[in-house]
Amino acid sequence: MKKRFTLRFAPNLVNQPLVSKLVRSYDVEINILNGDVSSGKGGMLVVELEGKPDNLKEAEKWLKDIGVVVSPMSKDLIFDSEKCIDCGACTAVCNSGALSLDRDWKLVYDSDKCVVCALCVHACPLKLFTIA
Amino acid sequence: MPKTIGSINEKIKNGSSVVVTAQQFTQMAKSKSLEELAEEVDVVTTATFGPMCSSGAVINFGHWEPGIRMEEIELNGVNCYEGLAAVDSYIGATAESRYDCTYGGANVIEDLVTGKDLHLRARGKGTDCYPTKEIDTWINKDTVNEFYLFNPRNGYQNYNAATNSTDSIMYTYMGCLLPHNNNVTYSTSGELSPLLNDPFFRTIGIGTRIFLGGAQGYVVWNGTQFNTMQNRNDKGVPIGSAGTLAVIGDAKQMDTRYLKAAYYYKYGVSMFVGLGVPIPVLDVDMAQHLAISNQEIETEVCDYGRKGHPAILRTNYAQLQSGFLEINGEKVRTAPMASLNRAREIAELLKQWICKGEFFLTEPVAKFPKDSSVKTMTQRQRDTQ
Repeated sequence: MKKRFTLRFAPNLVNQPLVSKLVRSYDVEINILNGDVSSGKGGMLVVELEGKPDNLKEAEKWLKDIGVVVSPMSKDLIFDSEKCIDCGACTAVCNSGALSLDRDWKLVYDSDKCVVCALCVHACPLKLFTIA
Repeated sequence: MPKTIGSINEKIKNGSSVVVTAQQFTQMAKSKSLEELAEEVDVVTTATFGPMCSSGAVINFGHWEPGIRMEEIELNGVNCYEGLAAVDSYIGATAESRYDCTYGGANVIEDLVTGKDLHLRARGKGTDCYPTKEIDTWINKDTVNEFYLFNPRNGYQNYNAATNSTDSIMYTYMGCLLPHNNNVTYSTSGELSPLLNDPFFRTIGIGTRIFLGGAQGYVVWNGTQFNTMQNRNDKGVPIGSAGTLAVIGDAKQMDTRYLKAAYYYKYGVSMFVGLGVPIPVLDVDMAQHLAISNQEIETEVCDYGRKGHPAILRTNYAQLQSGFLEINGEKVRTAPMASLNRAREIAELLKQWICKGEFFLTEPVAKFPKDSSVKTMTQRQRDTQ
């Protein structure tokens, strides 16, 4: 099972080994999709956790217990694909690989890979992406 | 007997012409000799569908009663040029609406082509012969007289690719350039691109009939910033921007599938223009030009984060279209700005038009200049005479 979360934590938690604890104690694989962590300022991590449902639940509980604000990723990228002209401008900024061009140079959007970074919103010259 | 435009048109008329797209021709050249190809194929279709800022449309609104000599002309809030005769105007693709900077001349043109009603406002001085001082009305493509595209610069022969070495993202007409050279964007359809398949303008010139925005149009002049002095590689291909086309076509007959308004964040409005140019395979020399492959078409990657956009490396379109490129030993993603998918569609469509006998080739009325270079604007004093 895979779940995506945004983790926000206070400055005093920056020094905690969150990632290794999740992996070792809860057997959860962690994929960091986006992050902004600096000492003294606290931090934010967008992560995808993969593991058995029970382990995921336990891991989520532990994070909350130590003071991490855990919010399931609720934002979605909405793509008006019918109007797409397959120019490819959005693929220039899509680091997660959710937007790509296939062999026929048609744009392909794989929502499973999207981390809702929103860079494509400004990259699309036809304004076809919105965040909801 | 050598082929001529006349003999090819004769074949188009009786339905026996052999037409292929530039990509198909390049493929064929891998297994056949240029002599065989020059014999076998009559026409090669080329195309591109990319953002072309130097585009716009001429509109004649028809006379008002009593007459108005239009000034301060606005269509859906977008300023149109007033310095022509009473009800003639020109709307440029990049002009922005005074109410919404993401809506501009390109959107007005697209909306008109679609058949929408647009809000027209204009003032007049009120002269003896044109007494009306203000109008406020709605127009569409059926209420106006002429509505034709006139694009001063389209179809760049080649163009540099772009990257950004600075610490922050740059929003440019070459798209969003990520910091630290994290991506490279390019905007040419490579081996399918019109002017790369006739690099010395042997067959394309003033009067050449083309596909423009879904209708038949014409090349009417060399495009602005026409440059014949660009360095060329050993295949004769200019490395970087060189030739350009000025084109005209009846916008009333166009299709918004091949004419699309675009907005580049923090840059402005532009327009995707669908352009297709048929190139006759007159002889072995033309076959050789048309057989050009992406591998042989080179361009420079320029750093848009530094003054003057200096070139940092040279690459080719096979590499750019592969999706990756190496900069300083790092693998960097490449992305196009022009739609290759739709360019292929245009080349196929033009091929069908020719095969069905609906589109005939033209001999240029006059050739493009052979010694044109691009000047820059500088701060200077008035010449004393």
